[in-house]
Amino acid sequence: MGSGLRIRRFVKYNRPGMALVIALFLLLITVLINPKSLNINTFGSILVQTMLLSFAAAGQTMVVISGGVDLSVGSVMSMAAVITTGIMQGQGGRFAQVILATVAMGAAIGLLNGVCAVRVGLPPIVITLAVSYVVTRLQYVFTGGMPTGVAAALFKKTVQYRIFGLIPAATMYAVVIWALAFFLIHRSRFGKQLYLTGNNESAARLNGINTRKIRVLTFVLSGVFSAVAGVLGAGYMGMSQCQLFDNYAYNSLVAVIVGGSLFVGGVGSYFGSITGSLVMIVLSNGLTVLDISQPVRNLVLGLVMVILLTLYNRAKPIRQ
Amino acid sequence: MAEAIRRRWGHFRRQPVFTGFCLFMAVLALNIIIQTPAKFFTVSNFRILLSKNMPLILTCLGQSVLMMCGVLDLSTGIQLAFVNVIAIMLPQELGVPVGLGWACALTGGVLISLFCGFCIVKLRLPALLTTFSITYIIKGVNVLIMGEPQGKVEKIIYKTYDSVLFGFLPFAALILLAVLLIWQYIKRTRYGRHMYAVGNNPRNAYAVGINPERVQMKAFLIKGFIVGLAGLCLTASNASGNPLQAEEYGIRSLSACMLGGMNFGGWGTLSCGLFGAGFLVIVQNAVYYLFNFLTKAIQGLMINSYWQNLVSDTIIFLGLLATIITAKAQRETLKQGFVKQLKRGEKYGG
Repeated sequence: MGSGLRIRRFVKYNRPGMALVIALFLLLITVLINPKSLNINTFGSILVQTMLLSFAAAGQTMVVISGGVDLSVGSVMSMAAVITTGIMQGQGGRFAQVILATVAMGAAIGLLNGVCAVRVGLPPIVITLAVSYVVTRLQYVFTGGMPTGVAAALFKKTVQYRIFGLIPAATMYAVVIWALAFFLIHRSRFGKQLYLTGNNESAARLNGINTRKIRVLTFVLSGVFSAVAGVLGAGYMGMSQCQLFDNYAYNSLVAVIVGGSLFVGGVGSYFGSITGSLVMIVLSNGLTVLDISQPVRNLVLGLVMVILLTLYNRAKPIRQ
Repeated sequence: MAEAIRRRWGHFRRQPVFTGFCLFMAVLALNIIIQTPAKFFTVSNFRILLSKNMPLILTCLGQSVLMMCGVLDLSTGIQLAFVNVIAIMLPQELGVPVGLGWACALTGGVLISLFCGFCIVKLRLPALLTTFSITYIIKGVNVLIMGEPQGKVEKIIYKTYDSVLFGFLPFAALILLAVLLIWQYIKRTRYGRHMYAVGNNPRNAYAVGINPERVQMKAFLIKGFIVGLAGLCLTASNASGNPLQAEEYGIRSLSACMLGGMNFGGWGTLSCGLFGAGFLVIVQNAVYYLFNFLTKAIQGLMINSYWQNLVSDTIIFLGLLATIITAKAQRETLKQGFVKQLKRGEKYGG
């Protein structure tokens, strides 16, 4: 096999590997333009943020593989962060309550999304967008626009502390959550059924899979994963605001697509989504280092998505 | 006589606009009861209702033109803000005459709409996701042009916009009538029929010699014009500029069109969008008066603007859910239309 062909095959079929290459390339550009940005602290923060985004992307991956889109990830995360600081109020020993409350909230919103998208038959993108508006408004109503409280000191440390100044302590959460997501998507019965459902729903149904249940379940799991990501995000930030993590909805979606999942469903992997998250975080880190303002960032993010869609999601021409 | 009426009624029931019309009439009756007829049937009430909600109504009309051709645009909302930003900033920063500045704003609205059309029609990208991403692009451009909410409009413009002609006709209604008249003309041309053909099935339309791409691009052109008008109305009614406003109009207009009985491709008329928009507007109005009533009736009950926002967003959501009832007959087509909007590409890679 010639090396040219091998490279072409790599670009075409190994999207997670491609994402890693892009991430390295972006990092290199950032360092070349601004050599000062190359320090151990930057790497630490890139790692933590990648973990946070990959937690949010775990649920998004499942939803995309099943053929849907979940845009309520961001608002669920913000809501979870608001609940976290609200319950903790800076005191330790309330972690169990926080997890219970946020996971219940995430699962409830996910269930709402799932039932509306699957049972009612409305497009997931529209329904989750509408739900995310409602959830955002709820944050304002509950907190009066000003969330109170901070995360507990010990909990903050478990997310923010850097072992040897580089490896974030959040890795221990990551090990658990990544393992869980890997198991769910790639090793469990649910995962197999998920791929089949996304690939060809009627064929899956004819094979005796309860496709509706699977699709509702993906939305519920997405809600739960984003709720957990929101709790950890509150630990990372130390405090919370309304709409704090709203951009995670779009970022997680782009990360999942960069990592090789397709909107048509049935294709994708969680490893790809993690590498996709790395690309997104390195990109946003680069934009920060280069001192690029928020509007231009929005522009870049929008363009990235349009380019991705152009590369991988074009329809066939009508005249055929 | 009775036979003729029954036949008319039967005919009307099969019209796409039927469900939207019924919903609209129901909430209208509800609103009149809450607001009391004496206060509802006043010229000033109609003036406020129309001039405040004209941007939303026009956006819904634009969206229904697109849906007729089997496409849609979620970024319509932020396009209003784009038009608004240009209309404010050109006269303020570059000293362009107001009339010319507003004409440029209208052109800008058309151009940005054509850009969306290019991505969806020419590049053949999935409409929902693409326009959702384009929202981010336009948001960025808006903030680049105008950093923060600012600017003002000359008094004569917003006075004219809020004025009532001949003692009964609000100025905003005139704009709506003009758009509807233009549509009545377009509908009767050959192009009007082509729209339905393309919306129903682009492949078949192509087979009988219609160019589907051109028809859909023209729909984006018409939508751009209507949305440009809506943006100018927004500027006139707010009398200031805000780069990040009206973003939720995109999904709201989609919800309104579906409520009004609009469907993807070959089904539904502009009046579907009109009644859908009317439904949302009237519900919002009724909720406002209901809240007023509640705060007066119950002592010590404080309702801040957060609650109002919550209720209005919940209404959008419930409106989407209500399509189960309204679009019952055409539900399968609606579903397939949406699948078409969401996924266009074939499976790729492994």
